[in-house]
Amino acid sequence: MNVKMAWRNIWRNPRRTLLTISAIAFACLLLVFMLSFQFGSYDAMINASVKIHMGHLQVQAKGYKENQQMRRVVSHPATVENILAKIHGVEAFTPRANAFSMVSSNERTNGVIVIGIDPEKEARVSTLKKLIRKGRYLTETDTDRILVGRLLASSLRVDLEDELTVLGQGLDGSVAAAVFKVTGIFSSGIDDLDRSTVHIPLKYFQEIYSMGRAVHEVTVVCRSLGDLPVTKQAVVSKINKLDEKPSLTALDWEELMPGLSQGIFMDLVTGLITYFILIMVVAFSILNTFLMSILERTREFGMLMAIGTTPGRLTRMVLMESTLMTLIGIALGIAMGCLVTLYFQSHGINIAGASEILRQYGISGSLYPKLSLLSASIGPGMVLVITFFAALYPALRIKRLRPVEAMAHT
Amino acid sequence: MMRRKLSATVTLFVISCVFSNPCTIAEAMDAASLVRENFDYMRDETSVSTVEMTVHRPDWERVSVIKAWTRGEKDSLITIILPPKDRGNGTLKLGRNMWMFNPKVNRVIKLPPSMMSQSWMGSDFSNNDLAKSDSIINDYNHRIIGTETSEDKTVYKIESMPKLDAPVIWGMITIKIREDFIPIEEIFYDEDFEPVKILTFSGIKILGGKLYPTIMKMRKADAEDEEYTLVKYKSLEFSIPLKDSHFTQTSLKNPRH
Repeated sequence: MNVKMAWRNIWRNPRRTLLTISAIAFACLLLVFMLSFQFGSYDAMINASVKIHMGHLQVQAKGYKENQQMRRVVSHPATVENILAKIHGVEAFTPRANAFSMVSSNERTNGVIVIGIDPEKEARVSTLKKLIRKGRYLTETDTDRILVGRLLASSLRVDLEDELTVLGQGLDGSVAAAVFKVTGIFSSGIDDLDRSTVHIPLKYFQEIYSMGRAVHEVTVVCRSLGDLPVTKQAVVSKINKLDEKPSLTALDWEELMPGLSQGIFMDLVTGLITYFILIMVVAFSILNTFLMSILERTREFGMLMAIGTTPGRLTRMVLMESTLMTLIGIALGIAMGCLVTLYFQSHGINIAGASEILRQYGISGSLYPKLSLLSASIGPGMVLVITFFAALYPALRIKRLRPVEAMAHT
Repeated sequence: MMRRKLSATVTLFVISCVFSNPCTIAEAMDAASLVRENFDYMRDETSVSTVEMTVHRPDWERVSVIKAWTRGEKDSLITIILPPKDRGNGTLKLGRNMWMFNPKVNRVIKLPPSMMSQSWMGSDFSNNDLAKSDSIINDYNHRIIGTETSEDKTVYKIESMPKLDAPVIWGMITIKIREDFIPIEEIFYDEDFEPVKILTFSGIKILGGKLYPTIMKMRKADAEDEEYTLVKYKSLEFSIPLKDSHFTQTSLKNPRH
């Protein structure tokens, strides 16, 4: 009975009701779309970041991440690669070796990380090949060729075909020294890489640094971000069965780049604050509408109370009115939000103007929102709660009405 | 007659002072002078030495033979003689600047500040340890915090704290110096006063004409006996006249043995 009355009451003023519903629906649509967009861009951000260098997963010696000592090696990379090749979620992998050494040009000397890479496998894991701005990438037959980050190249005052001397310490403590010719200059947008790394062929690295067949890490890229947990599990269980010295471990991108997940979390929190403000604005306007509608029905309420309706029942009826409107608005909002999100999920959004900022994260021009149960429900859920409380204030005022005075109200 | 007696007494007095126990001289010194005397004792005006350096790690050990020339407190030239793979590698230090030479690439490279904390030639000594070895004298305030006895000699324990604006990397250094200026131990602490590296001196015997600690062992404080660098003096000569040209980059490339 209450519901019937509430429903009829709503449509006594169709324009106002429709406006209120639209406000709520619009707010929900926005929230669903924006949250999906945020989640989608995080995925893109993570994928782009891991593909620049770190990969989704790395197999290393235990303790290497904390202290990059030369002797913390993956002694038998071939064994590890065999294991990885058989795991379904793995898309590609590549071995690497690292050493902090001096690199000097004619004019300058810098301390940098020298990275030995397998050119062919590396190209399938990281975007290094595509980030070459000048010159060329390394080939399988190269020996004394080196790739230099753009910022480092300008700091060392070198260009293509210039010589660089690398001087460091080998695995066995002996002096590691060699001269290289600059073959390519790369730019990733990541300061750490462009200013502090150089890349040389892995086989030559192993020779100069007396590594034998050992490497320091095997970097893995998964088929998709969703495949990562299962893949990591499989890798960990397989390498635990090996009896390697030093013993191995597998680390995912969150452990390797904690700054990235922290950055994402902070961005999410900032987003949530923005959404909350949006909802508050909508809530206040709804509050205004509800309040007005109740105030102008004072005589009606007075009459109802005079014939015996309890204030409590009136309150409930009024709350039912607001709830009905809210629910319709939310349902509409979610439906439209999902439609819009799904449309852009398949077509992508091209943000040409913000491409410089995106380059920082390594993301290309298009962004894809990602619809999920979470993104479709958090926003509208918050709207439901807040509109309920917004309606509560006017509804509770009814309790204070006195029938005789109310009926005389204009 | 009286005059002669007086002068005889004076002579006797002077002679007895000259031969008096050096212990009293050290006692009268303050900590700063002790540190300086110790440093000068170890370095002398010039020195030429051959040392055998062993770098020991849990899974390998590397022995090199190294020849070193030093001049005063600040300058030194070090070159590797053995093993043949590393022969010709060298380090030249003039004041606070260091250069490295590698015969394979045939280049003299000046060490940038970013490499100063890296290990020298793969040992537990850092480039900083070598380059700033004389900073102990001028960049720290010293005080004696205790004495002990070892082999009938008094050993002073000195605590050295960095001066306010001193460009040093240690939070504190403690040194144990014997009364005859021979060091026994040097411990390097970080800013939280946790020990980081320990340098011990032993094998005290006559070499180069005076008592000298011929064995030095540098290890990280938490490494126990698995990781250390041992330096053994094979030959040592002091106050040999060395030409200025000896401490140049040319000499680094082609040291005259």
